[in-house]
Amino acid sequence: MKMKVKRSFIAAALCVLCVLSLSLESISISIVGSASSSPTTNQFLGISPQDEKYYKSSEVIKCKDGSKKFSRAQLNDDFCDCPDGTDEPGTSACPAGKFYCRNVGHAPFLIFSSRVNDGICDCCDGSDEYDGQVKCPNTCWEAGKVARDKLKKKISTYQEGVAIRKQEVEQAKIAMAKDEAELSKLQSEEKILKKLVDHLKEQKEQIEKTEEKERLQKEKEEQERKEAEEKANQGKRKIEEEAKQDSSEDLENSDGEVRRTESTYEEKIGILEGSHLSQHEEKQKEEPVAISENEFDSGSKVPPDEGEDESEKTESLSREELGRRVASRWTGEDTTKEGEEVDAVKEDTHEEYDGYASETDDDNQKYDDEDVEEAADNDFGEEDHGDSDSSYKYESDTDSDFSDVTTSSTPSWLEKIQKTVRNLLQAVNLFQTPVNQSEAASIRKEYDESSAKLSKISSRISSLTKKLKHDFGPDKEFYSFYDRCFESKQNKYVYKVCPYKQASQVEGHSTTRLGSWDKFEDSYKVMVFANGDKCWNGPDRSLKVRLRCGLKNEVADVDEPSRCEYVALFSTPALCLEEKLKELQHKLVVLNKEEPQGHDEL
Amino acid sequence: MKMEMERQIRIPNRNPTVFVFLLLLVSCHLCSVVSWKKDEFRNCNQTPFCKRARGRKPSSSFAAHDVSISDGDLTARLVPSDKTLEDQDQNQIKQLILTLSVYQDGILRLRIDEDPKLDPPKKRFEVPDVVMPEFLSRKLWLQRLSTETIGGDASPSSIVYLLDGYEAVLRHDPFEVYVRKRGGNRVVSMNSHGLFDFEQLRVKKDGEDWEERFKGHTDTRPFGPQSISFDVSFYDADHVYGIPERATSLALKPTRGPGVEESEPYRLFNLDVFEYIHDSPFGLYGSIPLMISHGKSRGTSGFFWLNAAEMQIDVLGTGWDAESGISLPTSQSRIDTHWMSEAGIVDAFFFVGPGPKDVVRQYTSVTGTPAMPQLFAVAYHQCRWNYRDEEDVEQVDSKFDEHDIPYDVLWLDIEHTDGKRYFTWDRMLFPHPEEMQRKLAAKGRHMVTIVDPHIKRDDSYFLHKEATEKQYYVRDATGKDYDGWCWSGSSSYLDMLRPEIRSWWAEKFSFENYVGSTPSLYIWNDMNEPSVFNGPEVTMPRDALHVEGVEHRELHNAYGYYFHMATADGLVKRGDGRDRPFVLSRAVFAGSQRHGAIWTGDNSADWDHLRVSVPMVLTLGLTGISFSGADVGGFFGNPEPELLVRWYQLGAYYPFFRAHAHHDTKRREPWLFGEKNTERIREAIHTRYMLLPYFYTLFREANTTGVPVIRPLWMEFPSEEATFSNDEAFMIGCSLLVQGIYTEHARHASVYLPGKELWYDTKTGVAYKGGKTYKLDVNEESIPAFQRAGTIIPRKDRFRRSSTQMVNDPYTLVIALNSSQAAEGELYVDDGRSFGFQEGAYIHRRFVFSDGKLTSVNMAPAAPGQNQFSSECVIERIILQGLSTGQKSALIEPANQKAEIELGPLLLHSKKGPTATTIRKPNVRIADDWVIKLF
Repeated sequence: MKMKVKRSFIAAALCVLCVLSLSLESISISIVGSASSSPTTNQFLGISPQDEKYYKSSEVIKCKDGSKKFSRAQLNDDFCDCPDGTDEPGTSACPAGKFYCRNVGHAPFLIFSSRVNDGICDCCDGSDEYDGQVKCPNTCWEAGKVARDKLKKKISTYQEGVAIRKQEVEQAKIAMAKDEAELSKLQSEEKILKKLVDHLKEQKEQIEKTEEKERLQKEKEEQERKEAEEKANQGKRKIEEEAKQDSSEDLENSDGEVRRTESTYEEKIGILEGSHLSQHEEKQKEEPVAISENEFDSGSKVPPDEGEDESEKTESLSREELGRRVASRWTGEDTTKEGEEVDAVKEDTHEEYDGYASETDDDNQKYDDEDVEEAADNDFGEEDHGDSDSSYKYESDTDSDFSDVTTSSTPSWLEKIQKTVRNLLQAVNLFQTPVNQSEAASIRKEYDESSAKLSKISSRISSLTKKLKHDFGPDKEFYSFYDRCFESKQNKYVYKVCPYKQASQVEGHSTTRLGSWDKFEDSYKVMVFANGDKCWNGPDRSLKVRLRCGLKNEVADVDEPSRCEYVALFSTPALCLEEKLKELQHKLVVLNKEEPQGHDEL
Repeated sequence: MKMEMERQIRIPNRNPTVFVFLLLLVSCHLCSVVSWKKDEFRNCNQTPFCKRARGRKPSSSFAAHDVSISDGDLTARLVPSDKTLEDQDQNQIKQLILTLSVYQDGILRLRIDEDPKLDPPKKRFEVPDVVMPEFLSRKLWLQRLSTETIGGDASPSSIVYLLDGYEAVLRHDPFEVYVRKRGGNRVVSMNSHGLFDFEQLRVKKDGEDWEERFKGHTDTRPFGPQSISFDVSFYDADHVYGIPERATSLALKPTRGPGVEESEPYRLFNLDVFEYIHDSPFGLYGSIPLMISHGKSRGTSGFFWLNAAEMQIDVLGTGWDAESGISLPTSQSRIDTHWMSEAGIVDAFFFVGPGPKDVVRQYTSVTGTPAMPQLFAVAYHQCRWNYRDEEDVEQVDSKFDEHDIPYDVLWLDIEHTDGKRYFTWDRMLFPHPEEMQRKLAAKGRHMVTIVDPHIKRDDSYFLHKEATEKQYYVRDATGKDYDGWCWSGSSSYLDMLRPEIRSWWAEKFSFENYVGSTPSLYIWNDMNEPSVFNGPEVTMPRDALHVEGVEHRELHNAYGYYFHMATADGLVKRGDGRDRPFVLSRAVFAGSQRHGAIWTGDNSADWDHLRVSVPMVLTLGLTGISFSGADVGGFFGNPEPELLVRWYQLGAYYPFFRAHAHHDTKRREPWLFGEKNTERIREAIHTRYMLLPYFYTLFREANTTGVPVIRPLWMEFPSEEATFSNDEAFMIGCSLLVQGIYTEHARHASVYLPGKELWYDTKTGVAYKGGKTYKLDVNEESIPAFQRAGTIIPRKDRFRRSSTQMVNDPYTLVIALNSSQAAEGELYVDDGRSFGFQEGAYIHRRFVFSDGKLTSVNMAPAAPGQNQFSSECVIERIILQGLSTGQKSALIEPANQKAEIELGPLLLHSKKGPTATTIRKPNVRIADDWVIKLF
């Protein structure tokens, strides 16, 4: 070891250094930075200024973990006495130790003692490498300048972003108030309309009852007429019996019909939806079959009926098919295996160990993180994203076109209906027989129209209620994300992120669901989309979108660090928080304070 | 891998969910098909030579005639003695030539081949380049033989000298070869049960069908049956060991005989076995036909059959021969075994031992001792299929630093290449490979890329083009370049049997040829069994043709060996012979230890695989392959954090310590499982780094003696029966005993500590008396490890980013004193990189503590002038355990300096850890002679 230095000399050098560093920091930097043979073993090396008192207060110093004591001479004597490294802040002797880099001109930070004299420059002031193995130039000023510039840039982004955010928050509040107002208005309209519809329904039913009565009357008359005729033909027994049967069947039939009409109404809806669905299903059923057929034609995959006697079947495979198939065991790309894991996957949905979002509160890491973030922000500011990374309105059937119920002329339509209904009700004589056909028709028409409107209103109410139930952040800053989607093109894939809805990956015509909306995480810094499409041999796909401050809402850097677990970066003004801005500004002030005077002379 | 399905099968505009659902319907009857595809591989009954040999009844079909000494060997003609057999086969059974040679250190070599003078249709294959040239030069020139009639034999036996106290015996009729103590007990014998059979090459008769079919593959077998089988007996043996590679117990269980359920023989046939199971006689990626027997009364012996064809070996349970009527002319207890091979010749080696280390030394004198690895290779390796791109590499690298976890090597699997064309880079993902490697190298770290033997059949690929033009590929039975399917799709395979192809291949690793490689890049050979996805049993057809008409069946088990050899040679050439190569191979054959490291292939993330990794690695060690390990964490599947932590704790003691994972698994870098687990994994990895000086010293021991780095307990305690079948615990060198924890939520572990001396728990310092089984409390922080009293272990307690930065760090010596207050240990140090150590450029010290003083003794011969290695490293701390008297101070001589003795921590990094008597800052140089006296 080249650190054998006489203690008295160290003490002397130390004194000099202290004085120097207090008065003329730049010189002390130059000494530390270039010293190789000079005695740099400052006894207080690696100790932060706040901590110096702890070491200087007495001749016998306690290990911070209280395990034992050591003498001043044992401080930084390159032999580990305290398991927690208290006695060796400036050397690599204790594995648990931390070394404090002053980094004048930049930000001070702590490094692991394992970095001290390891031949790699870690502190920008080079203070961690003093045994002469390597020369570490002092790069703090340059690094500091870069960092300060970055920070400044970031601050200006934040400043602008904070303003945008404010606006958006305002707008969100207005929009939300509007939605809420609409909702409450719709709710009251719904109430009124519901009454009207009920009324109309009553009317309609009344009319129907009357009509039914008429019909029954007619039938009765008819039957009586028939019976009379039958009596006249009593002699023909067979015929009589047959007739009896007929009539009973008729009766049953008519009963059945009544019931059926009731149910058909529901069924109709059902059928309507159902047919839609089943068509859909059929289509879906057909398609994959077609796919698999395609598949087999192309000869790249395995027949679907291939099973337990799989190995037997191998004999009939072409050599290439066999090769692919065996390969697919390792890659998990075998289509026939797709189904195997569906159940197993469920277990995996509980995601406890999240690699990429892991953070520790380590000082060191904080520094790094900040750096990364800054770099990212920086890139972001510089890049000019084209139209390809754009946002657009989320399209969905449920939310489509409410113009007829939500137009500004709303009051008039409701009034109009009310009026029409009133008129109708007045005009119609309910107990008139026979029913006035035109009146009945208009009641029916009015009923149909009103109930259609009612159902539209109800669905709008439910969609609004659903929307308003969502968590839009403490300031509703994410309100505008609802109904919007954001896209980013990465190589051949287009990633679509639709907050509160879902996220997907599109390649050409095929879409893979990366997940549906789950929640915010990490105090609104991460959006989680979970339970996406199943992965081969893996978990359901999922996406975590890490949010950061930026002037536009944009997705960037979609990545798949672990199979089928995607992560993306998303910049948005919503994350440009005022407190954070203040923090950054404070940091800049601190950094500027560290700026050594007269650095130009260096 | 993004959207693998959609991309692969090119379906436009489809809803994957529905597709998935339908596939589920279509294929859910496949759900039950799990893991090992047993049916895909031949069992003994489906393997004609095996079935035939297994069905063979003991008989005596040959007799030795014309026994004589010629050219220093004993030679004889083996003449069929069974006339009926001769008649049946119409003289197709001819005389064979038998040769017995004797080599230094008690090694008997037996060769039996067809007589070239009798015009066999073809020369049978002898495996070249495995036996060391140095070994051949140690042949003892036999001068004479003595003849006597032993016991009740009807015919005489010829006896030659083997080693002081040992003789080799050839009984003439029936022919039998054995080694015995002079005039006394037998050690190992061959053909004592007359199971010897030798199918000679012959001309096909009309209408004879030699083809063999299996699972749609046809083996044309143009040369017909040519198998060899015989029995081998090990005397006074309690157990037999060896014949890797398979996942099973260390002590081999009988596969035939009374009380043995249906069992396959132990199979030696290099195969890429998908999701292998954890307890099976089935052979995996490697084959080393060396069996070692060990018994309390006699000791250890070994038998090695140098043969690269498919081999099947039965361990015969006692009483297997009850009905044969043959009784051996000895009352010694023994273990009988039955060896069957599809082709080749008999080229067998008998090792007399008598100790376990003697057998390993004898065996490695034949096949070579393990190569000395670079220091970095002994440290921790981080691998995954796949680190996707440069950003991922950078990210993972920086996270290790962020969490203060050291690692030395980052690995790139197949996806780093351009379409699985090895020696190329996917430039989208890795646009700047040199810069990426330089960044790692700046932190003292290395990179390993994969280079597999399948070469993509793509005319624009330089390797394929050249290999095709030069006709370097293995041919199929029809004479065309063999075309098989592997990662690269349609692929061909180089004929690595030919030395000129190997040297051509080696050139490909030069920095000019391997674009994007830098001096910190090393290589990984996977799939070199070879794995052929559409071949029979996922490998190359047996009737494929190598140089000079050698059939693949004849050299199959050595294919990967030659590939490994050529790759390692390439790295040596690349570094102008100054840089030790590092090549990891999956396929193994006898001698692979000379070329690099081995891992146990695609294991699974479950506790059983963690458990079986120990006997697997121990067995490899016994058979010469010292530098091996299992994938930490398990390749397939997602380990629970507890399993992963346990695997790191165990893996830190594997000679080869690498974490690896399949690409379908979740990320599992050490920091992904919460702070507590990160700390445990960091601790495990730190333990390895702390012990690097000890490991490195052991690697050197293996390099000089063949004795493996990690050892079965019985290798250190050969007379303790309690250790013979213990494969849960193992020794690292002679000083450390480690017991794995193989179950979930373990609270206790049962640990047998052999010997009479104390054992010191390395974490707590608590001492346990040897010769007992302890039920110890265990926690999740570590697995039990003990230092044997009477030993000295060198450590480096300072932690660094990688082993590179530890070079100048000071040492700690941990001395555990035995009952006579004595201990000793060794330290070997060299530059960690070059071949200078072969010229004596190293430091080798022996530390001896006795009579209250510690002495450092030089073990290195005086190195010739120019090539010296020196080190400024000092010993900063000496920990003394079991010191009975309370000495207060130490005097260092010759410097005549004092050092304090105080109570210091046993381990620096453990909070509130135990303390031990410590000599503080003796600061003696490891390169110097010195004495430290306590008073």
